[in-house]
Amino acid sequence: MTDTNVITHDVIVVGAGLAGTWAALAAGREGVTDIGVLSKLHPLRSHSGAAQGGIAAALNNVRPVADTGPRGPLEPIPVGDEPVDSWELHMFDTIKGSDWLGDQDAIEVLVKEAPEIIYEYEHMGCVFSRLPDGRIAQRRFGGHSAPRANYSADYTGHVLLHTIHEQALRHGVKFYPEWYCMDLIIEDNVCRGVVAMDVLTGKLYTMRAKAVMFGTGGYGRAWKITSNATANTGDGVAIAYNAGVPLMDMEFVQFHPTGLYGKGILMSEACRGEGGYLRNGDGDRFMEKYASGLMELAPRDLVSRSEQTEIEEGRGVGDDKQGIYLDMTHLGAEKILSRLPQVRELALEFLGVDIIHEPVPIQPTAHYSMGGIPANADGQVIADGDGTPVVGFYAAGECACVSVHGANRLGTNSLLGASLFGRRAGKSIAKFIKDGAELAPISGDPTQKHEARIQHLMSGPTDKKESVAQIAAELKETMTKNCGVFRTEERLQKALQDIKQLQERFKNARVMDTSRRFNTDLLGAIETEHLLTFSEVIVASGLNRQESRGAHFRTDFAKRDDEKWLKHTMAYKNGDDGPKLGYKSVNIDWEKYPPQERKY
Amino acid sequence: MATNGTSKTAVIRIQKFNPDKDKKPYLKEYTVTVTPDTTILDALEEIKATQDGTLTFRRSCRHAICGSCAMNVNGHNTLVCNQRVNAHLDKKGMITVRPLPYLPIVKDMVVDRTSFWDQYQRIKPWLVPPEDVPETEFRMTPEEVKALNDAEKCIMCGACYSACTVTAMNKSYIGPHALLKASLRIQDPRDSITDERLVEISGADGAYRCHTIFNCIDACPKNLNPTQAIETLRKLAQKRAAYVDARKERQKTL
Repeated sequence: MTDTNVITHDVIVVGAGLAGTWAALAAGREGVTDIGVLSKLHPLRSHSGAAQGGIAAALNNVRPVADTGPRGPLEPIPVGDEPVDSWELHMFDTIKGSDWLGDQDAIEVLVKEAPEIIYEYEHMGCVFSRLPDGRIAQRRFGGHSAPRANYSADYTGHVLLHTIHEQALRHGVKFYPEWYCMDLIIEDNVCRGVVAMDVLTGKLYTMRAKAVMFGTGGYGRAWKITSNATANTGDGVAIAYNAGVPLMDMEFVQFHPTGLYGKGILMSEACRGEGGYLRNGDGDRFMEKYASGLMELAPRDLVSRSEQTEIEEGRGVGDDKQGIYLDMTHLGAEKILSRLPQVRELALEFLGVDIIHEPVPIQPTAHYSMGGIPANADGQVIADGDGTPVVGFYAAGECACVSVHGANRLGTNSLLGASLFGRRAGKSIAKFIKDGAELAPISGDPTQKHEARIQHLMSGPTDKKESVAQIAAELKETMTKNCGVFRTEERLQKALQDIKQLQERFKNARVMDTSRRFNTDLLGAIETEHLLTFSEVIVASGLNRQESRGAHFRTDFAKRDDEKWLKHTMAYKNGDDGPKLGYKSVNIDWEKYPPQERKY
Repeated sequence: MATNGTSKTAVIRIQKFNPDKDKKPYLKEYTVTVTPDTTILDALEEIKATQDGTLTFRRSCRHAICGSCAMNVNGHNTLVCNQRVNAHLDKKGMITVRPLPYLPIVKDMVVDRTSFWDQYQRIKPWLVPPEDVPETEFRMTPEEVKALNDAEKCIMCGACYSACTVTAMNKSYIGPHALLKASLRIQDPRDSITDERLVEISGADGAYRCHTIFNCIDACPKNLNPTQAIETLRKLAQKRAAYVDARKERQKTL
C-alpha cells in the first residue's frame, strides 16, 4: 500500500439509502464522528426513495368503520377511544406473513420500536399525509390486520430518504458519492476495511476502518421483470460472500403482484390498500378463490401466485395473455389524485393508461430480497449458525437478513426494517468504537487484486470474446423462467446449469470502454459478476429446500414442511465449487406463536 | 398491448465527450429499433450494450423518482427514463441527446453537479425542529401539508437548475431547486429558523435574483413550479418579522 491510496476512518458505511444513512447518523449522534459513507450513486438516488406505499407502525390513528369488513372504509380514532392496533398484532401479522421463518425475537424488536421511529422521522421534518386533526394518516396494506401503513401519498420512501439525508448533512456526515465498493477485507474473522473505486477517476483505494457497515440494498436485478433500480445488483451480498461471510435464506425472493406490464415498474400496493381490485381476463375478481377473507390484500406471495395461476390457466389479459388487470376505476379521481398521484403518472407515461378511467395491466415483478447477509437485531453480522460475530462487520436493510421478514415480507415492513435496524446498527457501532476498537492491520495491498481484475476486463479481445450485456441478459432470462414465482427441481437444475455456463463464459468477457474516467461499462461488468455469484446461491439454496414456504414455492413439494424445513439456509462459499449449505434454527416462541396453517 | 406494436428504426444523435481524449464535444449517430413504448433510456441502454460501451450516462430507478437521468433532449431538459422515443422524433426520425447545459462535462451525459449540491447545502435543506418536541407527532393540518407538497416532490434532478439563465451566468445564485427546498422549510410550521432562512433567501444570491423567465417550470419533469415558490419567498421576505412572529405563535399549538 502507498499512502496515496489509503484512506482511514473509524467507520466506513457502504450504501447511503435508509439503512446506511441511519447508521451513520445514529453513530454520529453517539459521538463517533469519523465516519465515511460510500455510495455508488449520489445518496439521494438510492433505491429506498422508490418505495411508495408506506411505513408500518401501530400508531392507532385510524380504524375500520364498524361492520364494513376487511376492505371497508376507515375513520380517525377519536382521542380517548379504544385502540384497534398493537405491537402484538403487528408482530403476529409479521410472523404469519413470514410463514413462520422470521426470527421472533428480532420481530419483537421491529414492531415495538416502530412507533418511535415514525415519530422521529416526523420530528426531523418528514412530510407525512395527515388526518383532519393533524395526526399522521394511515392506510391498509396486505397481510396487516389493522390499518398501520403510515404514508406520504404514494412517495413515502422518497420523503423518508430526503429527510434522513438532510439530517445526516446537518450532522456533518461525510459522504463519498459515486464511490464503488469492490471488496470487503476480513482476516481472521476481523473486518479491516474495504477496497473502493472513486468512479470519477477510476482510482482504487484501500479504506481502513475499525468497523464497516453494509447497507447496500437488494438483489432484484437478477430477473428480467423487476421493480428494482439498475443499481440493485446485490453488490454487498456478493462481496460479503466472496469475503467468506455466509448468505442466509437467499432462495426467498419476493415477487410483487403489481409491476407495470412488460416493464416491472412498481404500482404500489397502496393501489389495493386504497380499494383497488384485481381482475382476470374474464373480468372476475379471482382473489375470491384464493383468499376469500382478505381478497386483494392478502400477502404478496399469495397474490402473485394467484395471478400466475390465472395467467397459466389461460385467463390472463393482453395480447399474449401474460397480464392481469389492476382496476381502480371505482375509486374516483379525487382519491387517486390525492393519494396515488405517482402511480397514476407512471401508468400514463409508460403504458398510456389513465387509472382513473381504465384498468391497468400488471404482472408479478421481482421486488424484494428477504435473504442476505446474516445479522442480528443490532446489525452485528454473524459468521455461522451458532451466531459467532464477524468482528467489526455490520449490516442492515435489504442486504441483511435479520431475519424479520422470513420467507415473505409484508409491505411497509421494509422501510421500517431498514430505518430501525440501520439506527440500531449505528448505535452498536458507536458502542464498539467507544469500547476501544482498534484499527486492525491489513496484509499486502488489497487493491492489487482488483487492479488486475480491471486490467483483465480491459485487456485485448480473446478468440471467444463475450459481451457482458449478453451474459447479463441470459442470466435474467433463465432466472425469470426457472427461478420465479413457481419453481421445480427440473427448472432449478436448468437455472443452475445455465449459471455455471455463464460464469464460465464471463471469463472471456471484456468491456468496450477502456478509459478510467467514470467508466460505467466497467462497473456494469463487475455488477454482472456479482449477479452471477449470488444467483448461484439463490438457485442452490432453492434446489435444496424441498418444501413450499412464503415466496419459495416448489410445485413438486407444494406443502410447507415444518418437520424438515423450519430452519434458515446458510450458504458458505466453497472455493470454485457451488456453495456449501448449512442450516440455522429459527427463533420461535413456542408458547405464544407456534407455527399454524397460513390462511387468509 | 404496450410491449408490442410496430417496431421501426430511429436515429439517436448523442453528444460524446471524454475530456481525457477529446478536444471538444462531438455528435455521434446511432441507429436503434424502437417500439411505441421504448423509452429514451431504453434506447441509450441498448446502444451501450450492443454498439458503444463507452457511452456514459447516469440512471437508476427507471421511473422518474431517483433524479439521475436528467439530460437535454432536442434542446429541452428532461428525464429520459419516462420519455418515449416516438414522442420526441423529429421529421427525420431523429432525436438529439446532450448533457444538461451550463454544467462542466465529466464524460458524455455525466455532468459535474457540484455547484448544484453546494447551493442545496447552503440553504440548509434540513428541518431544524423546536427544542420541545411532543411525545407523538406534531399536529400539522392537511392544508399545511398541501402547501409543502410541491417542494416535497422535488427529486433534485437538476433539470431546472441547468435550464435557468441566471445560474448559467452566475453560479453564486441559489438556484430554483434550492429556493424550492427553502420554501418548503420556510413554510413548514415545524421549522424554527425561519428568520435566518428568510434573511438568506432575500440576499443578493437569493429570490430577488430570479428573472421570472419560467425556464425552470418548463424543464421540471415532475411538473413542479419553482417560480411560484420563489414568488412566495419574496412575499414572505417582505413581511419577515410578522411571519416569524406568526410561526412562533403557531408552534405553541403544534
